[in-house]
Parts: sequence; structure tokens; C-alpha cells
Amino acid sequence: MLFLRDFGPTEVGGFGISSANDLLLVEDIELVHQACSAVHVTFHDESVADYFDRQVDAGHTPAQCGRIWLHTHPGNCPLPSSTDEDTFARVFGKTDWALMFILARDGATYARIRANTGPGVQQELSVVVDYRAPFAASSESDWEKEYLANVHDAALNTKDTTVKDRDKSRSDRFDEWDESDFCDPLLQTQLRGY
Amino acid sequence: MKVLVINNDGGGFADYMDVEPNTTVATLFGQVTKSSRAEDYLIRVNRQPCAADQILQDGDRISFTPTKIEGAAS
Repeated sequence: MLFLRDFGPTEVGGFGISSANDLLLVEDIELVHQACSAVHVTFHDESVADYFDRQVDAGHTPAQCGRIWLHTHPGNCPLPSSTDEDTFARVFGKTDWALMFILARDGATYARIRANTGPGVQQELSVVVDYRAPFAASSESDWEKEYLANVHDAALNTKDTTVKDRDKSRSDRFDEWDESDFCDPLLQTQLRGY
Repeated sequence: MKVLVINNDGGGFADYMDVEPNTTVATLFGQVTKSSRAEDYLIRVNRQPCAADQILQDGDRISFTPTKIEGAAS
């Protein structure tokens, strides 16, 4: 989650995949196609459905793969926004339990579990990395591929354009360090913003 | 006949269900989700979006998954 948070400038979100023996032990994170900005993330509905299909085919139950919703916040505040609360209530209020996890830019975290059976109850939880459980080696190249395949820049308003495409597009349009541009005093002033 | 149902609501399950012949997607949706708000779900048959009155066939795979999952900074 730290890698995903820091890989790009936008918010990013996904689902936690829990251990079959301990549903609060997140063993993996999977992204779905999402339109992101610095302050917002929206999952693509079709990609969410594809995600559930893949997880079921992999032998996971919905309780393992559809209860823990994770996303990042760009600032230092991990507290849920009204949008977060709306989603948590509307989408995850129909399951028997669900957990919202938020990771802020400075590393602060927020986790809250809600049980939706009976009168319902909510409880904030502390978050720890459990090194007692076996885990695979990190694979930043795979994480990068997953990020680039799923995180789309909402500013470009296109499902098929990733953050990487956006950066490439920007570099194709304009090279800040092109020598002729660099020598243009007016352009230098514009680049500095004053 | 049997259909595979993927449902995230309640306890959630992904399992085969027996349904009556000529059961429509809308009927199964009501039985499984107990919700009247179909707009809160993406409903697919065999991984394709479907109409409410589509009649299910033996062996179909039906999923009811959440929509409009979004987050924002405070």
C-alpha cells in the first residue's frame, strides 16, 4: 500500500484479500480500474465485477475479498471524508461486516470495522504489520505493472489513459529542458510561474 | 436447473443455486439481495451486463456486485 501510495500523485484504492483463517489479516491487495485525481478515486464498476469473478475463480469467498476497502489520502489526514462515509454506508453497509482502511501521505492510518448484523456496531481498529505470518518477497515490478494497468488519470477523463500515459503525453507535448525553450527568457518566466 | 451466483451482500457467497425454469434476472436479484435498489449493483450474466427480464439458463453465472465505490480526501 505504501508503494502504491507513493508511486503516483493521486489517490489510489483497492480491495484487501484476507486470510481464510483470519479475515482481518490482509494477505494481498488488488487494484481495480479506477479514475483518480489528487483528492478522489472512483472504481470502475465493470472492473469491480471482473475482480469478484477473478477472486471467485481463485477460490476466494466474497468475505475474503469483498469486505476490506482500502484507499489513500494525499494529505496527512487519514480520517474519512463524507464521500468515504457515503460509500462505506451505501456499498459496504449491506454486507455482514466491512472494514474501511485509509493510508495518508505521512503514514498515518485509519481503520474502522462495522458489523451490520443486529443493531450494528462500529469500532476503530489499530493497524499493524503482522510479521508472524509468512509472506512473499516484495515485487515492485509487479506492483508497478498493476498500478500502471489500473490507475487512470481522471483529469484526462479516459479509462484507457494511465498516469504513465499522461506523463508521456506531457513530455511529448513539451520538454521543459529543450535548449531553445530554456534560452527563451519569457518561457523561463512562465516555467517559474512568476 | 442450477446457476452459479456471486453475491457480496450479507454473508456473501459464490455458489450454485437451484432456480425454477423461466426465472428472470430481476426475480433472482430480489431473492438474493433483498434489495429494491438495482441501481446500486452491476448485474451480469456470464460476465456480461444483462436486462432485468433476461431469463436464466442452466449453468449461467450471475453476479451482483457493488457500484459507485469512491473515496475522497477530507
